[in-house]
Amino acid sequence: MTTTAKLDLNEDKTFLDSTELILNMGPQHPSTHGVLRVILKLDGEKVLGAECVIGYLHRGVEKIGENRTYVQFGPYVDRMDYVAAVSNGLGYCETVEKLINVEAPPRAQHIRVILTELNRITSHQVWLGTHALDIGAMTPVFYCFRDREEILKIFEKYCGARLTTHAFRIGGCQWETYEGFEKEVLSFCDFFEPKIDEYEQLLTTNRIWVERTKGVGVISGADCIMLGVTGPVLRGSNVKWDLRKAKPYSGYEKFDFEIPTGPNGDTYDRYVVRIQEMRQSVRIIRQAVANMPAGPIMAKVPKILKPPAGEVYHSIEAPKGELGYYIVSDGSLQPYRVRVRPPSFVNLQALDQMVRGRLIADVVAIIGTIDIVLGEVDR
Amino acid sequence: MALAPIFRKIFLVDLIKGLSLTFRYQDPKEIYTEQYPLERPQVAERYRGLPRLKMNPETGKTLCIACDLCAKACPENLITVESERDPVTKRKVLTKYTFDLSRCMFCGLCEESCSTDAIELTPDYEVAQYSRDGMVLDQKRLEEGPDRKEYKR
Amino acid sequence: MLNQLTQYLQSTVTPGQAGSMLWATIYILVIFAGISLCVVFINWGERKALAHFQIRLGPMRVGPHGLLQPIADALKLLLKEDTIPANADKVVFWVAPFIVTTAAFVVYLVVPFGPQHAVTDMNIGILFMLGVSSLGVLGIITAGWASNSHYPLLGSLRSSAQMVSYEVAMGLAVISAILMTSFTPGSGSGTLSMIGIVEAQKAQGVWFLFKFFPLGLVAFVVFAIAMIAETNRAPFDLPEAESELVAGFHTEYSGFRWSLFMLGEYAAMIAVSSIAVTLWLGGWMRPFPNLLSGTNWDTIFSLVPGAFFLFLSAVTLYSTARMPKKLTFRIQTVGLGAFGLLLGAVGLVMLVPGVRERVQDIFWFMLKVAVFMYLYIWYRATWPRYRFDQLMRVGWKVLLPLSLGVLIVTGVVGLSPELMTWLKGVL
Ligand code: SF4
Ligand code: SF4
Repeated sequence: MTTTAKLDLNEDKTFLDSTELILNMGPQHPSTHGVLRVILKLDGEKVLGAECVIGYLHRGVEKIGENRTYVQFGPYVDRMDYVAAVSNGLGYCETVEKLINVEAPPRAQHIRVILTELNRITSHQVWLGTHALDIGAMTPVFYCFRDREEILKIFEKYCGARLTTHAFRIGGCQWETYEGFEKEVLSFCDFFEPKIDEYEQLLTTNRIWVERTKGVGVISGADCIMLGVTGPVLRGSNVKWDLRKAKPYSGYEKFDFEIPTGPNGDTYDRYVVRIQEMRQSVRIIRQAVANMPAGPIMAKVPKILKPPAGEVYHSIEAPKGELGYYIVSDGSLQPYRVRVRPPSFVNLQALDQMVRGRLIADVVAIIGTIDIVLGEVDR
Repeated sequence: MALAPIFRKIFLVDLIKGLSLTFRYQDPKEIYTEQYPLERPQVAERYRGLPRLKMNPETGKTLCIACDLCAKACPENLITVESERDPVTKRKVLTKYTFDLSRCMFCGLCEESCSTDAIELTPDYEVAQYSRDGMVLDQKRLEEGPDRKEYKR
Repeated sequence: MLNQLTQYLQSTVTPGQAGSMLWATIYILVIFAGISLCVVFINWGERKALAHFQIRLGPMRVGPHGLLQPIADALKLLLKEDTIPANADKVVFWVAPFIVTTAAFVVYLVVPFGPQHAVTDMNIGILFMLGVSSLGVLGIITAGWASNSHYPLLGSLRSSAQMVSYEVAMGLAVISAILMTSFTPGSGSGTLSMIGIVEAQKAQGVWFLFKFFPLGLVAFVVFAIAMIAETNRAPFDLPEAESELVAGFHTEYSGFRWSLFMLGEYAAMIAVSSIAVTLWLGGWMRPFPNLLSGTNWDTIFSLVPGAFFLFLSAVTLYSTARMPKKLTFRIQTVGLGAFGLLLGAVGLVMLVPGVRERVQDIFWFMLKVAVFMYLYIWYRATWPRYRFDQLMRVGWKVLLPLSLGVLIVTGVVGLSPELMTWLKGVL
C-alpha cells in the first residue's frame, strides 16, 4: 500500500530548472473523462506520482437528498452515474424498499433486471469506446455508440427518456412494458452478440492494443480489496466477487450466469472481463425475457411515504462496481441522511498505485480502464 | 510447434483483421448519422419532453382543477398553481399556472401525480428558448404549445 | 512565347537540367500551388473518408457533401486571432512553423512527376530528399520549446526521438532500393537520382516492389512503416497524441501558424509517399507496362487521365444542378459550377495529343500517391496508438534489423551471378 506522496507545488522554479516536471492533466483534458484533474509528477515521461483533484462536478446530491421526500429524490440519483442511470435508480429504490420492508413484485423485478442489464451494456459500451479512443483507436467509439442507440431506443420507449431514465419507483415500476417490448429486447440480443465480436475483431488480438494494455496498470487482488476497489477492476485482478451472486438482489439468484475474471489484474484483463460481462448480460436478459412472469408491477406502497426511523445500507452491482446507499430515516417525510458509496470514487483511489513508474500514455489508459464517471465521483 | 501464431504475427493478420472491418463499414449504407434539422427523429410515445396543459376538447376549458398536487410532487418546486374559489360552484378555479422549464428535469413526477391528466409531458423535444424568461411558461403557452419556425433548406 | 512552349513540349529533360530559368520558376510555382491545393483537398478527403470508416457522414453543409468545406476552413483559419503565449520565445515561436513548411516543400524540387516533370534532377536526388525532409523535425522541436509549456515540450521531445530513430530504418530500406538500381543489365552502376531510379525500373522491366520477391516487398514495408512514423501519423502519432498531450507540439498554436503546421504535415505526407512511389512503385510509369504493352494500350492508357477529369467534372456539374435554388446558396452554386467547368477544361486539355503523352505521367504518379494517402487515413481509422517505448522498440529492434538484413540479402542475391562465376573459378 502506498500513500499519495505530497506534491510540492510551490517550488520557486520554472519547470525547466528542475529535474521533475509537474504536469497538470485536466480538468480540461481530452481524456480525463470529464473534469478530473490529475497532478502528475514526471521524470521525463515517467510518472513518479499522481494526485487526483476532484470536485469540479460537485452538485451536492447527498445534501439534496436530505431536502426531498423519498419519492422526489428518485430522479436525482440518475444524475450521478449518468451513463448507468437505471442502475442508480435500482439501487436507490431497493434501498428504500428495504427500509420500508416491501419487495417489488416478481414481474417488476424481471423488468428491472432486463433494464439494468441493458444499462450495464450501455455503460460498458461507453467505456469501451472512450477507452479505445484514449489509446488512440478512433473508430470503436462510433460503433459502440451506434449499438448503444438501440438500447437507448428501448429505454425511450419504455420510460420516455434515454439517459436520465428515472425508470423505477419505490415498490416496483411505474410503467407496464410497452407492446413488443420482449420482442425488441430479444432482437437486440441477437443483433448485439455479433457486434461484440466486431469490437473484439478490432481490438482483442490487435498487437498494438495488446501491447498498450498488457501489463499496464497492474493491481493485485489483495490491494484491490484493501483499497475497496470493486466491480470489473476487482474481477480483473482475479477476485470472483459480484454482488449479483454474492448477495443476490432483485431476483438475480434465479438467473444462470458466470462471473468473468482475469488472471493478471492489468488493463487487458479488465478489458476482457468487461467484454465478457456484456456477453453475460445478454445471457441474463435472454433468461429474464423467457421467464417473464405475469402479475402486478407495483407493490403496495403508501402514497405518503413515511418510513420508520432507522438506518439501512443496501448495495447493488452497478456496471462500475458496488453502488451502495446508506439512508438514515428519522421517521419523517424526508431522509435524515443519504450517503452514496459510488464505485467510481472508490476505484479512482487505485489510480496512484497503478500509474507509478508508468509512462504518461499509460496514465490515460489507466484512467480509462478504471472507468470513472465524474458525475459519480464528485456527486 | 505452435507455428500458427508466429505466422499470424509475421503476416500482420491481427492488424489486417481490423482493417478489413473498417473497410467493410465504408459502405454508404452503413452510415448512421441523422442530419437533424433536415431529418427529424421520431421519438417514442412515452417521451418526456415539453409540458402541455390539456384542455377539454369539447368545452375548451382547462382540465386542471387546481389541486396543487403537481406542484407538491415536483422535486424542483418549479410549478406554481394559484386558484380562487368560484363563489357559485364552490369549486377551485385556476387563475395562474406557471411552469419554469429552465429548472425542469423531465422526471415525470408531476404528470404521474395529476389526477385529471391535465399536465402532460409531450414527445416534443425542442425546448430551447432564446432567453431565460422565455423558459417560464404560463398557462396560455402551456395550453397552446410552442410556436416555432421549422428549419427548412 | 509560342516558341518557348513548343520548345518545352519537345524537351526531354527537366527544366533544371535544360537550364531554363523560366520553366523552372513556373514549375516551382505550379508545384507549390498544386501541393497546397492537394493538401486542402486531402484534408477534406480525410475528414470524409474517416467519417465513412466511422459510419458518419463528415462535412455535409458547405457545398454538396461538404466539398467547399476546405475553403471555409482555410478562410476561418486565416481570419482567426493569432495568439502567442505570454511567456513564449516570440522569435522562435514565429519561425518554427515556417521551418516545418519550408522543409516539407523544398523536397518537391526533386520529386519526379514524370521524366521531364521535376524542377531539376540532382544526381544525389534521394539523398537530398531524405536530408531536407528530416529538417522538419527542427521546426517541431523549436515549436515545442518556444511554446514554453508542458505538453508541447513533451510532444516535441517525443517527435525528435521518434524521427531520429525511424530515419535509420528508413534510410537502410532506401539503400536497398538504390542497390537494386545497380543491377540493371548493361549498366553496372547504380544511381541516386530520382529520375534515374525510375529509369532503372523501366530498364529492368520490373517495379522494385516485386524485384527479388519478397526482398523488395519487405524493404517497401519497412519504408512504409517508417514513413508513417516520420510524418507523425497514426498509429505513430505520438507527438500530437491528442488523448495524451492534447495536441502535442502545436498545442499553443492557432490560426494561420497552426495551419502552416497542418500544411507542412500533409505536404510531408505527400513527399514521403512520393519517395515510396518513386523507389518501389515505378514512379510515373503507367500500370501493367509489360502485360498490356504495345502502342494501342499506350494510347488507351494515355486517354485515362483526361477521361478521369471529365468524369469528375460531370459529377460536379451534376451536383451543381442539384444544389438548392435559393438566394443564400448562390455563391456556393456558382463556385461549384465554376469548379466543375474548370475540371472539364483541364480534362479536355489533357485529351489533346502531344499534351496528353506529357501529362499522363503526372496523373499516374499522383494516383499512386493518392493510394498512399488513402492508406494513411485507413490506418488512422483502425489502429490504436503505440506507446513511446514501444515505438522505439519497433524502430530499433524490428525495423532496423529487418532493413539491414534485407539490404545484405539484396546485395548477395543481386551479385549472385558474379558470385557463381567466381565460385566456379575457384573450384
Ligand atoms: S418533470 Fe419533474 S422536475 Fe419537471 S416539473 Fe415535472 S416533477 Fe418537476
Ligand atoms: S395540473 Fe393536475 S396536479 Fe397540477 S394542479 Fe392541475 S389538476 Fe392538479
